[in-house]
Amino acid sequence: MSKPVLPDGFVAVVKRDCETCQTVVPVLQQLAAATDLTVYTQDDPDFPGDPEAIHDADLAVSWHHDIETVPTLIRVVDGQETERTFGWLQSEWRTFTGIDDLGEGLPPMRPGCGSKSVDPDLVDELAVRHGGSILRSRRIEVAEAEDEIEMMFTRGWSDGLPVVPPTEQRVLKMLSGTTRAPDEVVATVPPDLVDASVEKVAIAAVMAGCLPEYLPWVLTAVEAACNDEFNMHGLLATTMPVGPVLVCSGPGTRKIGMNSGINALGQGNRANSTIGRALQLVVRNIGGGRPGEVDRAAHGNPGKVGFCFAEADHESPYGTLAGQRGLDDDVDAVTVFAGEGPRGVVDQLSRTPESLANTLAHQLQAMHHHKLVMAFDAILVMGPEHARVFADAGWDRDRIIFELHMRLTTPFDELVRGAGDIDEGIPAQAASGFLAPDTSDGPTSLPKFRSDGLMLAYAGGGAGLFSSIIPGWVNGETGSKPVTRAVQY
Amino acid sequence: MSTRTILDPTGEQSVAERARLARPASLEGLTVGLLDISKPRGNVFLDRIEERLVGIGASVKRYKKPTFAKPAPVDLRHEIATECQVVIEALAD
Amino acid sequence: MHDISDLELRGVPGVFVASDQFVTAAESQSKSLGYSAMARVFTPHPIQDRTDEEMIAYADAAFDQIVSRVTAG
Repeated sequence: MSKPVLPDGFVAVVKRDCETCQTVVPVLQQLAAATDLTVYTQDDPDFPGDPEAIHDADLAVSWHHDIETVPTLIRVVDGQETERTFGWLQSEWRTFTGIDDLGEGLPPMRPGCGSKSVDPDLVDELAVRHGGSILRSRRIEVAEAEDEIEMMFTRGWSDGLPVVPPTEQRVLKMLSGTTRAPDEVVATVPPDLVDASVEKVAIAAVMAGCLPEYLPWVLTAVEAACNDEFNMHGLLATTMPVGPVLVCSGPGTRKIGMNSGINALGQGNRANSTIGRALQLVVRNIGGGRPGEVDRAAHGNPGKVGFCFAEADHESPYGTLAGQRGLDDDVDAVTVFAGEGPRGVVDQLSRTPESLANTLAHQLQAMHHHKLVMAFDAILVMGPEHARVFADAGWDRDRIIFELHMRLTTPFDELVRGAGDIDEGIPAQAASGFLAPDTSDGPTSLPKFRSDGLMLAYAGGGAGLFSSIIPGWVNGETGSKPVTRAVQY
Repeated sequence: MSTRTILDPTGEQSVAERARLARPASLEGLTVGLLDISKPRGNVFLDRIEERLVGIGASVKRYKKPTFAKPAPVDLRHEIATECQVVIEALAD
Repeated sequence: MHDISDLELRGVPGVFVASDQFVTAAESQSKSLGYSAMARVFTPHPIQDRTDEEMIAYADAAFDQIVSRVTAG
């Protein structure tokens, strides 16, 4: 519904349930006699009676004209408001109207009351009734006897868990989490290459269970995932068990209550659980990426419902993953990584960095297959207890990664197909150099990771001498490159 | 609860059917736009339609799009939408 | 047909007039626009070789139908 035009002259908005409005009734009578006055009443259609009022029954006039206080007196010229005053201040009303004896005998000042159109119990409903027209998505009626959550399952819009029905009210509220316009295109979503507007992403965020303050993170994740570099399309189409993994960092993660501590990679935190899920619902419902269709994963992994966690960047001895990838450590950022489910590394006895690095290297080498190298990246997530071993020894991020690379270089003859009585492995002709090993050992050995293929993140509970490896999908041009983006609010 | 209407979460690639707009009771006193698609002889047809419309109390505004081969330019569509209450487009063959 | 479809989206009820050669095309096009119900009226074919008198006769014959498609009466 469009904004109702106010009649020229003076317009007063009042309600009976406000003592100040009752106080100014004689003033309204005086104004009605001397000027063109139109009175709108928000509650009782018979108030004030004299002068007669128009009942703003659906509060359209009040809502569209941003009435926050009653009484409000507005001057309207040629259908346009030129000025307004609210509450009762005798001197101001007299100047405003040019009537010198206006409200003679009344107290000089009475504060106004809250407009019914800003009543907290009504405000969401009014936003839908009068502001819902900003939403462009198709409206779908849920038949009387139908359960909307069941209906969303039936239509194929769920990832297998119940989704929150995206009502206009909920979507409008979600959109309050960003300053971006609802019709702004966020990204073109694979595999169907459909433009996703801020509104459509907000719908997915509602369905995933997000709060409005998570929306900027979801929008950033969608932007980071839907581009050629990250290659979300390939990630869907692969038979490997990978999905988009979101690593969030910056002070904003704490503002929205993300978990970077105990069970950071697990369940139970609303922001962690829903931000990653919202991205996957965008891919499913807007992009059309559904398992068994374009998504060809042989096994998948439970993280494909949504895999998102925060780094404890404020406590990290080696900065953030976003920092490693070129942003400032204190920037709110999202890194999206094509990853599998995490696997734990146990080492409860290493007291020296060398010993712990040896353990981590062995487990990283085993990722996917110990004889397959340079094809996959990984994120190593350390918590306080393992990270402390390195920090105490003065190893910073670069040193840790360097030392791991040193331990992750394997003689070629151990990797070649057939070696160790295992058919899987590197083709023999790789020794002649097409993998271009960048180690000092020359072509007789190969590193597990390409030079920037091993990333560190910092998260986890204070007790537990464990780390977690998130193995990646095929890297580089044919696969996926991690993408890091600063959060746009 | 106002959860009985929900917003479509999909990319809306499949076309949804829509219904005709509500029609006025009569054309009397309304401004009717005649949009000539620029095919030969269409103007004669529209001239007659104009006469008949005026005869039943409508006022008529004439528009012509540059070519029948393409949709009317957005400015023209906007102009018609702001100036007319009803529109008649003719004459395709 | 795109014009009428768009103008209706802009709030202006409309009708599309074409010769009866256009019946099938109009049907499939309106469907692809998601607007099968689009109002349309057909005149006889051919058009381009008709005299003024013949065109006026077409217009007179179609007039009531055209009006009925854009009014609720």
